[in-house]
Amino acid sequence: MKRANWAAWLIVLLGALFFLLPIYGTLDFSLRAQKGVLSLKAYELVFADAKFLETFTFSVQRATLTIVFSLLLIVPTAYWVHLKLPQWRPVIEFITLLPFVIPAVVLVFGLIRTYSRPPLALTGSPATTDLLLVGGYIVITLPYMYRAVDAGLRALDVRALTEAAQSLGAGWPAILLRVVFPNLRGAVISGALITFATVIGELILAVFLARPAFGPYMAQLGNFRAYEPAALAIISYALTWASLALIDVFARGSRDASQAAAVR
Amino acid sequence: MAFLELTHIHKAFGGAAAVQDFSLTVERGEFVSFLGPSGCGKTTVLRMIAGFETPTAGQITVNGRDLTAVPPNRRNIGMVFQSYALFPNMTAAGNIGFGLTVAGRPRAEIDRRVRAMLELVRLSDFAGRYPYQLSGGQQQRVALARALAIQPELLLLDEPLSALDAKVRAEVRGEIRRIQRELGITTVFVTHDQEEAMSISDRVVVMNKGAIEQVATPFEVYNYPRTAFVASFVGTLNRLACTVVDAAAGTVRHNGAVFATPAPLERPAGAGVVLMLRPEELRLGEAGGENRLPGVVTSVQFLGAIVRVQLQHGETPITLDLFNERQLRLPEVGQAYTISFPPHACWVMAPNGHGPSDDHP
Amino acid sequence: MASLAEPLPAPAVRVRLQFSWDWLGLVPFGLFAVAFILLPSLTLFSGSLLDARGRFTLDNLAGLNTPVIVNAYRNSLSLSLLTASGGALLGFGLAYAVAFGRLPRALRTAILTFSGLAANFGGVPLAFSIIATIGRTGFVTAFLKNEAGLDLYGLGFNLYTLPGLFLAYMYFQLPLMILIMVPALESLRREWREAAEGLGATPWQYWRHVALPILTPTLLGTVILLFGNAFGAYATAQALTGGTITLVTILIGAQIRGDVLGNPGLGYAMVLGMIAIMAVCLAAYSALQRQSEKWLK
Repeated sequence: MKRANWAAWLIVLLGALFFLLPIYGTLDFSLRAQKGVLSLKAYELVFADAKFLETFTFSVQRATLTIVFSLLLIVPTAYWVHLKLPQWRPVIEFITLLPFVIPAVVLVFGLIRTYSRPPLALTGSPATTDLLLVGGYIVITLPYMYRAVDAGLRALDVRALTEAAQSLGAGWPAILLRVVFPNLRGAVISGALITFATVIGELILAVFLARPAFGPYMAQLGNFRAYEPAALAIISYALTWASLALIDVFARGSRDASQAAAVR
Repeated sequence: MAFLELTHIHKAFGGAAAVQDFSLTVERGEFVSFLGPSGCGKTTVLRMIAGFETPTAGQITVNGRDLTAVPPNRRNIGMVFQSYALFPNMTAAGNIGFGLTVAGRPRAEIDRRVRAMLELVRLSDFAGRYPYQLSGGQQQRVALARALAIQPELLLLDEPLSALDAKVRAEVRGEIRRIQRELGITTVFVTHDQEEAMSISDRVVVMNKGAIEQVATPFEVYNYPRTAFVASFVGTLNRLACTVVDAAAGTVRHNGAVFATPAPLERPAGAGVVLMLRPEELRLGEAGGENRLPGVVTSVQFLGAIVRVQLQHGETPITLDLFNERQLRLPEVGQAYTISFPPHACWVMAPNGHGPSDDHP
Repeated sequence: MASLAEPLPAPAVRVRLQFSWDWLGLVPFGLFAVAFILLPSLTLFSGSLLDARGRFTLDNLAGLNTPVIVNAYRNSLSLSLLTASGGALLGFGLAYAVAFGRLPRALRTAILTFSGLAANFGGVPLAFSIIATIGRTGFVTAFLKNEAGLDLYGLGFNLYTLPGLFLAYMYFQLPLMILIMVPALESLRREWREAAEGLGATPWQYWRHVALPILTPTLLGTVILLFGNAFGAYATAQALTGGTITLVTILIGAQIRGDVLGNPGLGYAMVLGMIAIMAVCLAAYSALQRQSEKWLK
């Protein structure tokens, strides 16, 4: 059906224009920091800014903490539910869907109101506020992490693997460490990378909890400088793209909507 | 004039030929099976008859009408798929009535026909069920009713029983044949299961690598196969490498033994041939016929109605089938027996796989 | 071996109470859920239903009926509805082109990859990119003015209003639609189309009677997902308009920074309203998911 084909190409072309023009525009703008010539000056300025490194490191560290605690929380729980408590599965799944109902603004509102008064005062010091921050990040990425791990578990025959391991003498820690986690490598990596991309660019929690993260830094810079924000935007796009590309490399990732995290 | 005529059909995908020089005539009301291994082209031919593939060359005629260039939705051909392909968003009744609905028939007529079809496949109580609420066998019967509801000139079935359990398979198979006889509709049935093909067809088309090996009734295909492929694909077969002793008398030699075969042989004395024997025509002991062969039992499989005995004669394995009897004493592994068989159980083929089959009454 | 004449010995029957400690394995997750999801939600609920002295009241909810808040809800709802339906329609067209347009395999993969990427865009980088493209000094604006004589801003177009937000939101709504619809379209089994054709249906009849009904739960579910996605968005609107357009999320954000409405309970009430809307979305989405899973088992 040759007729249909050119229509498809036209639609794709229009779509491509809509999506690629802004990126092109940003890239172009970011290369014009030096008047009249294309240069990487904006990028140099960004990398030279001490606050860039500070906030970027801060966010990377918090992202790592989020990933670690999130996995420690979710993988054993999902495994346990699959194995022993399948009747609790709907309940757990419902809880993991709640973050969809609670947008980030609402979440941070609730966290602040709950934990800013004694006896649960956690907003006093940076360390305890970070606890709220990381906890909030885990909540935001909960649906994606859980779905990735759950899909991975469903692809394995969890019961059979566990029974085989037990019959060979393994206890629970050994089973988790040597059987469950290694076989979930794909799901774990995929979830970790989505979490990373989300946390790096996250704005709402960081701003309202007044923590020096990368998101607020990007927002603030936009108020004072012209070209550096463009460079930052490109850097942030590149980071997201790299995260998703790594998922493909490590996790034979299926491309589906579960990879669209909430950065809005 | 034949009802369905396929004339010199060719189909090539890219460079590879999937179907080569396929010609066949099918009479009105006949039930024909395409039988062959995976990849032999049987489904491709079926899809060309239905119109989902176009032949690279050749012509397809149904009831005098040249259909080669007609799109599938105007061919009035009913098709049943291996995966049932029932529309999941409609009930059984909705599925069956679909052909008439898109043809714009009045509601009353559609309801009447749907009810008649449900009764035909014996699923009258299941009209309101959705496909996910039906078992595999039930879904396939609904698919059959759906194909027949439009009163097609031709019914095509693409491995319809492959996805079903063994027991259900036999039931649905019988249903299909019963309905086909009742309606008298010309039918083409594709399968790789030779028991299926043989048990319900008027004629069997055995295919291999895109070409026809033999077209004949099940009895002929089984007992008088035209090529070694057909002989070994259909049923179990024993082969003995022999040399011709006397071509006119039809005697061949295997190691020390000499066997009598029913007809003069085409190959001269001293030529190498292959002697083919069906397991059920061999007997343990000397009462089976004038041809004798010693063997030692290597295994005995009790299959219920049949007892399958494997023997070894030197380098050659021999399979022998006995009918079960209650007072039967099963042969034991390691026992030596004389295997005997009559001349008319033998047929001889050239080593390359082709050979004339005997004249038969 | 026992003969058939003797009865078999009766098995010893013991009733043993099986008390399972298995539920303990859920404690860590449960604690986390309570601390970070349930407790904050409870605080919000109770805050909206209690007055300054801790007594139950519906005044806060009634207080939602002020012009500012009503306006915010109207803006949020209309923006979400527009981007959801616009995203659904245009996204369906794109998804259809990708699934059935016989495009080269590499192009299809590239489009899906990019969609995965773009669905994650938002906030400051996206706002900046949009401004750089069709802001007052954006390069497309300049291009249109210089090459085509089309003065967008002269004609009244303004990026920093709802239409501008619409464009920005489309940037991440469309890809989400594509990511969901392309696999859904490709999951339409070829045999359904062939069976329909064999029964005499034209392509349009096939779509009308078979394909669209099968896809409807997924389509509706995606529209709802897009709606919820837009309704809860904050960063993009804030970055693009600086909070000048009142959306519910923007208003809540302002409320966190300080009591801008003169009544703390109102903030809670707004949040409650927001959660209610999102909960309805979630319920509808789940119901549609279950429906489509049931059919396509």
